[in-house]
Amino acid sequence: MTETTSPPTTAPGTPAPVPARSAGPRLSYRGRRQLMGVLLVSPALAVVTVFFIIPLIMTFWMSLNDWPLLGNHHFVGLANYRRAIHDTDWLHAIGFTLKYTVLITPVLLITALALAFLVNRSGRAARAFQSLFFLPVVIGFAAAAYLWLYLAQPGLGPLSDIAVRLGMGDRDTNWFATATSGLLLVSVMVVWKVTGMQMILLLSGLQAIPGELNEAARIDGAGRWKTFRHVTLPLLRPTLALVLVFSVAGSLLAFDQFYIMTGGGPSNGTITAVYQIYRTSFINFELGYGAALSAMLMVALAAVSALQMLLLRKSDHS
Amino acid sequence: MARRTTTSATASAVTAALALLLSACGGGGGQTSSATDKPTGTATMWARDSEKGFINALADAYNKSHDGKVNVTVVPSANFVQKFGTAAASGSGPDIASIDLVYLPYFASKGVLDDLTSVLDSLSWKDSLSPAHKKLAEYNGKTYALPFTAEASVTFYNKDLFKKAGLDPDKPPTTFAEMLADARAIRKLGAGYYGFALAGQCGGCNIFETAPHIWASGGKILSDDGKTAMFNSPQVTDTLSFYRQMWTEGLMPPSAKTDTGTAQTTSFQSGKVGMVNLGAFFVQTLVADKKIDFGATPIVGKDGGTASFAGGDEITVTKGAKNKAVAYDFVKWATGKTAQTILAKNSIVPIRTDLIDKIYAPRDPRYKVLGDAMSTGQTPYSVVENGIINDNNGPWSTLINQGVFGTRDIKSLQATAQKAAQQIIDQG
Repeated sequence: MTETTSPPTTAPGTPAPVPARSAGPRLSYRGRRQLMGVLLVSPALAVVTVFFIIPLIMTFWMSLNDWPLLGNHHFVGLANYRRAIHDTDWLHAIGFTLKYTVLITPVLLITALALAFLVNRSGRAARAFQSLFFLPVVIGFAAAAYLWLYLAQPGLGPLSDIAVRLGMGDRDTNWFATATSGLLLVSVMVVWKVTGMQMILLLSGLQAIPGELNEAARIDGAGRWKTFRHVTLPLLRPTLALVLVFSVAGSLLAFDQFYIMTGGGPSNGTITAVYQIYRTSFINFELGYGAALSAMLMVALAAVSALQMLLLRKSDHS
Repeated sequence: MARRTTTSATASAVTAALALLLSACGGGGGQTSSATDKPTGTATMWARDSEKGFINALADAYNKSHDGKVNVTVVPSANFVQKFGTAAASGSGPDIASIDLVYLPYFASKGVLDDLTSVLDSLSWKDSLSPAHKKLAEYNGKTYALPFTAEASVTFYNKDLFKKAGLDPDKPPTTFAEMLADARAIRKLGAGYYGFALAGQCGGCNIFETAPHIWASGGKILSDDGKTAMFNSPQVTDTLSFYRQMWTEGLMPPSAKTDTGTAQTTSFQSGKVGMVNLGAFFVQTLVADKKIDFGATPIVGKDGGTASFAGGDEITVTKGAKNKAVAYDFVKWATGKTAQTILAKNSIVPIRTDLIDKIYAPRDPRYKVLGDAMSTGQTPYSVVENGIINDNNGPWSTLINQGVFGTRDIKSLQATAQKAAQQIIDQG
């Protein structure tokens, strides 16, 4: 990391001053500001170029090749993409990813909104609960997945113990034994892990709504529900859009939680799109085909995000 | 004017940043040596984390007695192939690599390993090295690795539970029918007791633990040249039917269905599971536990016969190695008596069949079974082993999972898996 941050502080300084000096007094205030701006932006620009734009172009180039991890690669045109369209494993993975996204997005949003309303008041208790709800966010995703894997382990996990005491099955019930129960368990983990972040975002949105508006609505005789429906929700729309894009993008890119908690099983019932890309590239070593799948996922992701932004912006003006 | 200045400034800033980044990535350098040079300096080595227990002791022993030095990096087993493959592809790999033998055909076929044929031929103990290891190290008639550590699969059984269930602890099962009967008897001991534990969602575990049942019954899962999948053979049907019966009768713990290899060992260690197929490493674990009186017996076939998976690691010199002199010297030394004795002391099966009875078998009564199992063990040969077998979501693992824990017709599952495996083989 030190290498990546240090160059911009030294490097841009060396060539730049020469022309700047010679232009000397003639360089206007505006010009100097512009130069300063470019200098300040250049580290970010360099990082984005090296870590995003170049890999992106390389990914695209690789997707047009038969590119094994080791050995020679050769150009195959769009063959990888044609193969993907008929690849049942890939189509299953996409289907499962969509199913997961459709399941988890509303659950996350409603939970986060409910929690945001709960903690949107003054007082110590509200702050304490706000921190409590936010705590899981600071744990890494992999760590959280391992934690829940243990919690739900048949025979030894505390969750199965609780289930037994509540009369919901016996000690040895294996909750990972079917794809559906595995999916539900992973979803519960993800809600626990992510909802705090969304709550904070929505809370800041809620607090940005001027109190006078709610007051005015109440004076006009609007009940709680009507105030929420016609005042709060429309004003919260930009924040909701942001949260929704985060949540959908995150769900479409789901990998670690399934990799760790279900291992893609049972019988490959919980393999997500990214999981399939990982398998293609790093288990079957077909980097070219993996790159083609990544490119497809990226296009889909960009389209979904653009659509969401567009829809939510349009309704904002109506 | 100002505009031009800014553009050129940006360009030079970006170029400078890039140059610095690239030079930071490159790194290394230093001297290089060839195989025939005097072995001095330091060679780098990668090993799997499962070798953590002895690999540093081994390197220390070499470093103390030689001019050359070996510096070991331990890499997580689960990511070893990816890490080594990526490093080899980018030229940043180690000089020496200890590689799981099943992956050797793949790496040898990709030309990232040095040809060690002459080194193997120069060893006076060449003929007593593990035959399975030698076979896996060969690609197109050349040898790309030397045997390093061995591992073999056997059936572990809990003698205490055998006694409690009224079975003779000195007569472990010899056929599927006997295994089934023993498992039933142990299950009858009460709630929480199980006859047999399986890691149902682990491809690597099941080539080690389940394939020997198929081999012992006279079947195969791959042709000898690795070019044809044989997942649809009748012996595979027999083994899967046998396992499915144990599962449907409740003789396996519920965790078996989704176990990726973690629950199986602990369930046997808990003392409530009668039998489990595992390797030499498990002897050490159980001995350290001091809780269970256990026996080891060869893995059986349907109507008798025994087989084992001969596993372990081979040691290789990479094509891009910088210090080849030390690397060649070390890999030769690693198969010698001094090095192999250090392994045996750390409960690793030596790859020298001539030394097993001297340095390994006397250390524990169960080691004799393991040593014999290793000498006669089999290992499937395939350049796409990872894709068809070790992948936890691949054809082999899926076949085991659905065949044992599912309800669909086993023969049709075999047909599906056969097709998927053959497809991976054909794609190379």
